[in-house]
Amino acid sequence: MKLLKTCPLLMGVVITAIIISILSFALKDTVYSEYVSPEDIDTPILASFFKAAADGVFPWTKTNVDSSDSLAEYVENLGDDQMAEGNQSPDDDLLVNEDISGNGADADDFDVSENDVSGNDISGNSEEVYEFTQVDDDYFTDALFIGDSRTVGLSEYCEELDTRATFYSKISLTIYNAMNTEFIKTENGKITVDQALSENQFSKIYIMLGLNEIGTGTPETFAEAYKAVIDRIRELQPDAIIYIQGIMHVTEKKSSSDKYFNNDNINTRNMALSELADNKTIFYIDMNEAVDDENGNLLAELSFDDVHLKASSYERWHQYLLANAIVKE
Amino acid sequence: MINFSDLGFIFRFLPVFLVAFYLTPVSYRSVTLLIGSLTFYATGDLKGLAVLCIAVIVNYLFGRAHKGEKNKFLLAFIVCLDALMLVEFKLLSQFVDNSFMPIGISFFTFKMISYQADLYMGKIDEEPRFVDAAAYFCMFPQVVSGPIMRFSDYQKKSYFQEKEDIFSAIEDGLRFFVVGLGMKVLLADHLSMLWNDIGTIGYESISTPLAWIGAVTYTLELYYDFWGYSLMAAGIGVMLGFPFIVNFDQPYSSVSVSEFYRRWHASLGSWFRDYIYIPLGGSRVGDMRIVLNLFVVWLITGFWHGVTLNFIIWGLILFVIIVFERFVMLAKMPEIARKVLGRFNVLVLIPLTWVIFAISDLKGLTDYFKRLFPFFGQGISVNGNDYIKNLGIYGGFLAVSIVLLLPGLYKYFEVKRKHPVFTVLLFVLFWVCVYSLSNAAGNPFMYFRF
Repeated sequence: MKLLKTCPLLMGVVITAIIISILSFALKDTVYSEYVSPEDIDTPILASFFKAAADGVFPWTKTNVDSSDSLAEYVENLGDDQMAEGNQSPDDDLLVNEDISGNGADADDFDVSENDVSGNDISGNSEEVYEFTQVDDDYFTDALFIGDSRTVGLSEYCEELDTRATFYSKISLTIYNAMNTEFIKTENGKITVDQALSENQFSKIYIMLGLNEIGTGTPETFAEAYKAVIDRIRELQPDAIIYIQGIMHVTEKKSSSDKYFNNDNINTRNMALSELADNKTIFYIDMNEAVDDENGNLLAELSFDDVHLKASSYERWHQYLLANAIVKE
Repeated sequence: MINFSDLGFIFRFLPVFLVAFYLTPVSYRSVTLLIGSLTFYATGDLKGLAVLCIAVIVNYLFGRAHKGEKNKFLLAFIVCLDALMLVEFKLLSQFVDNSFMPIGISFFTFKMISYQADLYMGKIDEEPRFVDAAAYFCMFPQVVSGPIMRFSDYQKKSYFQEKEDIFSAIEDGLRFFVVGLGMKVLLADHLSMLWNDIGTIGYESISTPLAWIGAVTYTLELYYDFWGYSLMAAGIGVMLGFPFIVNFDQPYSSVSVSEFYRRWHASLGSWFRDYIYIPLGGSRVGDMRIVLNLFVVWLITGFWHGVTLNFIIWGLILFVIIVFERFVMLAKMPEIARKVLGRFNVLVLIPLTWVIFAISDLKGLTDYFKRLFPFFGQGISVNGNDYIKNLGIYGGFLAVSIVLLLPGLYKYFEVKRKHPVFTVLLFVLFWVCVYSLSNAAGNPFMYFRF
């Protein structure tokens, strides 16, 4: 008691720290299993309590290992990556996420959501061969862009596109949470991409996603999730041309120093993405040729943080899109 | 772990060290401090540890040699050696490889130089024991980014024996530590995200309002980052029984730039005063000589912060402002003009000097100033609404940071810090910081490798 009078703050902090540490340790295999990574020995265990709290997970939260919701549930677990913010090191989150995506049980869920759509053979003229051509900016008046912070940048710094096209883009968006995150502002509150695509029709849909989640899963699980999203979009937008954009590279500096965010990983995943194109209604385009140096890294002078284009560099992306468009009839 | 705002430091190193320190008998506590400090340093920079250890031993031996004999030549030799070591590592890190720079070298070298000078001038009475000199040079609360404490302050330490004294020292130090942690984690780290976002846009593409917001942001970020760090450092010092070292004393309430730099990073300013300015003759010489002395001081200050041209420009601009203040503003102007102009210098010119401090490539720097003063040219792909977006995200952090500039607030805390209301507030503040740290990897201190 006397101690409490001499040093109430110290006692309060110490006792709370001990309680939280014990809780975090005791629940590390249940409630906090997604927030503890055995590899990360530098972080005290009590951090998992606070990481979980940020997701609304508390010691009394029930763990639902066998949830029936497929993609939505699965992806929500993966989606907290902050990498695109630029400033924060993604590694901690990634290590956590890796554990989840390695989970074989969840992979089945994808097949479920895939099945309902794969039968869709929409556009009829199957033998026609399309070539990329030059278009002008009015091509984008009925276009939609879906993407993460890089696409946000495109909307903010490419006036020609921003004034014509629609952007469903959000910082740290991933292929896993792209369809089910409520972030599109409408008069009646925020809605998901899925809902927005049910209500609005577009003729061209450009997608660039895949950087935030590059530390999670494998190229195969990533491509599978991507395909599920494409299939769902196809279902909602039967007449749209879908452009899968290859993930933009990072600079050499970033690529050579980062375990996850490097161009080898990006290229592997881009390769997997390119195979999702059917060249009839779904096309793969890779804007990296407009921003790469001779070694296939993002040109250093185009970026400040080695990941995002500077405002003045978005014009290259814009020009690439103008020069690589599909025109039907 | 070498950051005070690292969870590993807060929940592992610091508690373990404190227990070990206070279990050690009083006469051996300096040894515990030394071992703990070397361990701390080793976790951050193993290569640098060798440099630190060699520098400690060499300095101790030279100190012993010239103290007895009052040998001016030996003093000059060791001071030059320390200075050369610092210059060499700064050049190496700038022109060869950044990793050559031992962490904290700018700070521990300055401590070593002051130690030598104080020994020579008789400011240190008894010949220090090796373990005290070494613990003073290496002590972990200061080795990374200061404050540049004097050896005489190190000697003022009181290693407590009574349980009561020990716990109240830790308690009191913790209060300062938590306030510093809050400044660093909740303010500086978030402001640094805005500053980084501005870089991501590219300086040539920001709107003029955002450029000014950016200047304010960086100014506040630097202040709370370094003041917060200094409070944490001083707080840990208090926990161990050292006197509280004031490094920041409400600099933005100053009425001139000269006053600003007596209150900003005070342990560095007084170092320059005592070991460069005064030995050069200080203010007791002719006007031209004073100008020359100030020039030398500010040139070295610029260089100390970094070897790129922007730091030299930064130092020289401050030199010009300070000379102007001394010989025109304070000498010739009526009081009201003095006050208005002095405040203008502190609140407008100082933030602009921080922009120079922040941007090390000259192209980026000129781009930034062109956006601050758009009549010098147009930007490229500017989104005129960028500042609205960023104020929406960061406005709250900026507002709190500006309110906390009011000098009365910190003073009030200082006086009332033991009040139960503050105990509760600090408790909450501490856990909010831990929450924030757990969910976002923090940024290293900006003064890390200086």
